[in-house]
Amino acid sequence: TGAIGLYNIGQSCCLNSLLQVFLMNIHFTGILRRITVPPRAVQKRKNVPYQMLLLLEEMQCSKQKAVSPVDLAHCLSVYKVKLFVQHDAAQLFLTLWNLIKRQMKNPELAGKLSDLYTICVQEQVACQKCLFETKRNSSMLTLPLPVLDANSHMLKTLEDCLQCFFHPEELTDQNMCFCEQCGRKTPFLQSMKLVHLPQTLTIHLKRFCFEKSAHIHKLSHYLPFPQDLDFNAILTENQCQADDNEKAAWQYELFAVVAHSGSTNCGHYCAYIRSLTECKWYCFNDSEVCQVSWDDVKCTYGHSNLHWGQTAYLLIYMKKHPQ
Amino acid sequence: MAQWQEVQSLANAYLEQVHQLYAGAALPMVVRQCLAAWIENQNWRQAAEPLSSHARMLFHSLLALLGEHLGSPGLGGEDFMLKHNLRKACRDLQAEFEECPENFANLVANLLQEERRILRLGQAGTQGKATPAPSTPPESDREQQIQRRLAEFHVALQEAERAFRHLDDLQEAFDFCYKVHYLPGEDRTSDPQYAQQVQALEAKLQILDRQRWEVLAQIQQLLGRSETLRDFLLQELEAWRERQQHACLGAPVDTRLRPLETWFTELGQGLFQLLQLLRALGDLQRKVTYERDPLKAETPLLERRLQELLTYLLKSAFVVEQQPNMPNACKRPLVLRTASKFSARARLLVRLHDRNHRMEAKIHIDRDPPKIKGFRKFNILTSSSKTLLAGDNPQDGLVCDFQYLTLKEQKDSRSGKGSKGTGEGPLAVTEELHLITFTLAYAYCGLELELETSTLPFVIISNNNQLSSAWASILWFNMLSSNPKEQHFFSSPLPAPWPRLAEVLSWQFESVAERGLSKEHLLMLAEKLFGSKPSPESTVAWPKFSKDSASGFSFWAWLDGILGLLQEHLKQLWKDGLILGFVSRKQEKKLLKGKRTGTFLIRFSESILGGVTCTWVEHPETGPPAFRAVVPYTAAELASLALPDIIRDYQLLVEENIPENPLQFLYPNTARDEAFGPYYSQRQEGNLMEQKKYLNRRLIRVSSRQANESWQTEEELVAATENLEMLQLQPSGLGTQQPGGLAPLQPGGSGTMQVMAVSPGMLQPGGSGMLQPGPHGLEPSQQPQVGSGVSEMLQPGARDLEPQPVGPGGSGPLQPAARDAGMPQPVLGPVEPVLVPNGLETLPPELRDLELVPGSPDMQELLRSLAEGLEPGSGMLETLEAAELMPDVLEAVDRGLEGLGPRLESSAALLDPCDPFLPQPEDTALPTVTSLFTATDIPSLHIDANDFQ
Repeated sequence: TGAIGLYNIGQSCCLNSLLQVFLMNIHFTGILRRITVPPRAVQKRKNVPYQMLLLLEEMQCSKQKAVSPVDLAHCLSVYKVKLFVQHDAAQLFLTLWNLIKRQMKNPELAGKLSDLYTICVQEQVACQKCLFETKRNSSMLTLPLPVLDANSHMLKTLEDCLQCFFHPEELTDQNMCFCEQCGRKTPFLQSMKLVHLPQTLTIHLKRFCFEKSAHIHKLSHYLPFPQDLDFNAILTENQCQADDNEKAAWQYELFAVVAHSGSTNCGHYCAYIRSLTECKWYCFNDSEVCQVSWDDVKCTYGHSNLHWGQTAYLLIYMKKHPQ
Repeated sequence: MAQWQEVQSLANAYLEQVHQLYAGAALPMVVRQCLAAWIENQNWRQAAEPLSSHARMLFHSLLALLGEHLGSPGLGGEDFMLKHNLRKACRDLQAEFEECPENFANLVANLLQEERRILRLGQAGTQGKATPAPSTPPESDREQQIQRRLAEFHVALQEAERAFRHLDDLQEAFDFCYKVHYLPGEDRTSDPQYAQQVQALEAKLQILDRQRWEVLAQIQQLLGRSETLRDFLLQELEAWRERQQHACLGAPVDTRLRPLETWFTELGQGLFQLLQLLRALGDLQRKVTYERDPLKAETPLLERRLQELLTYLLKSAFVVEQQPNMPNACKRPLVLRTASKFSARARLLVRLHDRNHRMEAKIHIDRDPPKIKGFRKFNILTSSSKTLLAGDNPQDGLVCDFQYLTLKEQKDSRSGKGSKGTGEGPLAVTEELHLITFTLAYAYCGLELELETSTLPFVIISNNNQLSSAWASILWFNMLSSNPKEQHFFSSPLPAPWPRLAEVLSWQFESVAERGLSKEHLLMLAEKLFGSKPSPESTVAWPKFSKDSASGFSFWAWLDGILGLLQEHLKQLWKDGLILGFVSRKQEKKLLKGKRTGTFLIRFSESILGGVTCTWVEHPETGPPAFRAVVPYTAAELASLALPDIIRDYQLLVEENIPENPLQFLYPNTARDEAFGPYYSQRQEGNLMEQKKYLNRRLIRVSSRQANESWQTEEELVAATENLEMLQLQPSGLGTQQPGGLAPLQPGGSGTMQVMAVSPGMLQPGGSGMLQPGPHGLEPSQQPQVGSGVSEMLQPGARDLEPQPVGPGGSGPLQPAARDAGMPQPVLGPVEPVLVPNGLETLPPELRDLELVPGSPDMQELLRSLAEGLEPGSGMLETLEAAELMPDVLEAVDRGLEGLGPRLESSAALLDPCDPFLPQPEDTALPTVTSLFTATDIPSLHIDANDFQ
């Protein structure tokens, strides 16, 4: 099989899961394989993309059930990505991605990497008094979706979370902003419009909440997500800022789930990934890899009575029809 | 079965794959075959890891085993070739892998894995083809998935245990070396040998660390898969719960728990095994630990996750297997009567327990009583706790069986009920929902839990007459409530969507009489409820279903009356589809209009409780077709004469006309006798000794058409044989009847025969169930001359014609005792004694309308001639009615008169063959005679007849 495990070399389950998600993504590995190899050994050791490529090669050649990502881990530790530390998968994903991009010397490749992952949105704030609008385009690597609505009620599905995320927010009372035209603080309407979605779309379910105290706790409630996601069916016309061509491509299917079990301060990550070549689901638990079914992936929907079980944390969707 | 054996039993196509697998492999198949079991028992995957000494050890063990094999005497000369091959393999392996045993371990691990893959394919292939095993019911996809996953879970668990044992070995080896070689006290940094040893020690620790992570990863994986399995089982359990709820309502569904019990037990067993494994890992960590020891951080985490999983599984697995149920409750559980016994049973589907731990089960009623005003409180009178005994037979499972429970209301529990009523009034008794909660103190493998489960809500009644409305509540709740603990439900009951209600109503008929309601039935019911065709969104409110009683009773009371009638008397006819049942008047006309005269259908009365009637069509020479319906029969009448017999013998008396049975063809087009023949009761013959004394009687139903042809009358006459000095006749529906009471018979004087209409059941003041006056379809509400009931026809026992008085000699008026002896609760109307002197001219007009019954022309002719030829004064025969008396009634009369004990064999009720006036047509008399001979050794008909002639 093409799925090879990664040994846990000390709290590296989070890194392992993310590496599997990167390396099972043929669009990503297509870029990775084209990098230029650093000339000197010292550079090689410190180059994250190169170390990833080495790891990929090792995994593909390996007849073992798992390989050890120890060189990559050492390489990352140079950039303050520490071993033996619990990481947050969403954060580590951003860190890794930025490291990879920064160290890709070829600007064309770096651009491709950006295209592969970057979501473009347009942020708008409009004064409710004079209707003066400010627009700003911005891009992000993940859609950080709330799992609770504005009134702290649990959202029921991923689609609800997306709708909630793109729902305009009124800024009133102490949240009022200064309007240049009105010359005073006025209520504003803040909204976000979707401009572009990338080939590989990463959704971050913010499954934690800060209670009154500083203590963070995990939200493990049931939140189903679909295998097929059509943004046109979820967002209204007002929530998009894209041409028909762009919108037509907003058809996604689930590629991977990074799931977390345990509590916020101690836990375990594993990754469910649908092999793009075989179209089969695999579950990666460090060195253990096994083929699973959609039912197993559904197990990461969460359960309000079970707080230690696995819940989906990152969802990676893939465009059905690459442009 | 061992893997290699299984591989060998694969189909040829897959065997070919195995051959190919070994064709290019460095491990010859002969070695695989020779050491199959040993090879499969080693952990090659682990050995294959770099820096592992395990691989070398395994490799040498293999060579040694091969050596043993070669030297063993078991291999005789005939195995020369085999020996040769083995020796060659041994040499080749040694040459190839001596330097790198890890590669060999990896090779074997991959081969075994590939074998398993082929095996899976092969077995899936054969299962796909060869599964249709006729004996076992086909398993659903989900069942197969569960079985497969359980099997996979066990395999993975075994692998994890093997990995653990390997870890244990590694740790022991490390520990030993550590204790021997590591000497921190002394300064030996200069000793190169020591440095080497410490380095080796570090390498060993590396391996140990990796193995620890490895085992943890395996357990993580295992837990992840078991969560899927848990979800599957819980989904199946939920489906079972729903089935059980439906089964309580009478749905024909499978509520077996055995498969679930097996699955839950297997998963529970596996998870407890995993728990032990985790604890053993904890022990390993206590013996040897180091900085960043994964076991230290991860094991407690895994254990918490597993305990949570197990707890959840166990809590879900405690279920009420049998909902509270009184014995003989006619398939209506969840209705309990105070002071009556009932039983309930809970079961723990995880059949695992600690034999040393005493498991105590308790039951509580209304542990958290709802805050409803006037909510009654009850005590469970019998013992409410029980020690769960592990049956010697493990098949019995862990069952908390509470039998012979009784409830008693707490005395002051209803204080305040109805008094000082402010706000919402208390619920009716039959809308008060109660719960019994089972608790079980469970302990196993150090996991201690208090499990609990609750029954579905039930209704507590104190009187049987509340049963019907209590059952309506149970239906309504289970149909609509999604929360089985919702005791407040009837504070604001939801309306029922019609499609759901229709299904539940159909189950009622299915469970009572094995045939549900058809689409047409349901349409009629819906139209009755909604006044028009229902839409899928139509809903019925609870009061409309169970309370509104514009017609004197609620919709449910009406339907339940019909269910009761079906249960008692019409089961077979309903089951066989002979009863059209729910047909509206309008529909009925539409159906019958195009049919020939005499076509009839059986339907349930809409105007009286628990009534069934026949409607037939007549096409007069001119004018529109007429539809006639007979006054509905209720349980009381059907108890004395079964519906098929009524239909067979039904007579319509028309003035100056031969009585005829208007019921000729069962709708749509089946001849009456063809349709009902199988259900006719045998015309029973009796003891001839008695027959010498009495003429035989048969009970039939007749209706008479009044002279004005307005179809107002149905009379049911009881005729008894006796001298005809006095004849009392009473049309029964005189509106003076007292429902439920037995009006005393008026003394008719000695030697007086009374013919009375027996009108069982309650007649509604509205004159319900009457024949309809034509096509208006209105039931006349005041028709005093209309009655219903049994007509007991008088046998011609006229003394003057007979040399010998027939019938109970000198019998007086019917005594109430007759009824006591066995009349099925007929309500005898106050008899208006119509004294009938011998002269025909005094015969009341009603009587003149009476016609003799047995359909034979002889008889009718005879009677007609009698009627015509009677002169004033000649007064012999006023009414000669030969009828087969309803056996029960007759017997009752007989017994009442003669004090005979009630015995079935004496219930003679056939056309008396002795009577010369009675016809003896082939079709009736002959079979009677033959059966007489066979049944009893008594003189033949022939002889009897002689006696009279």
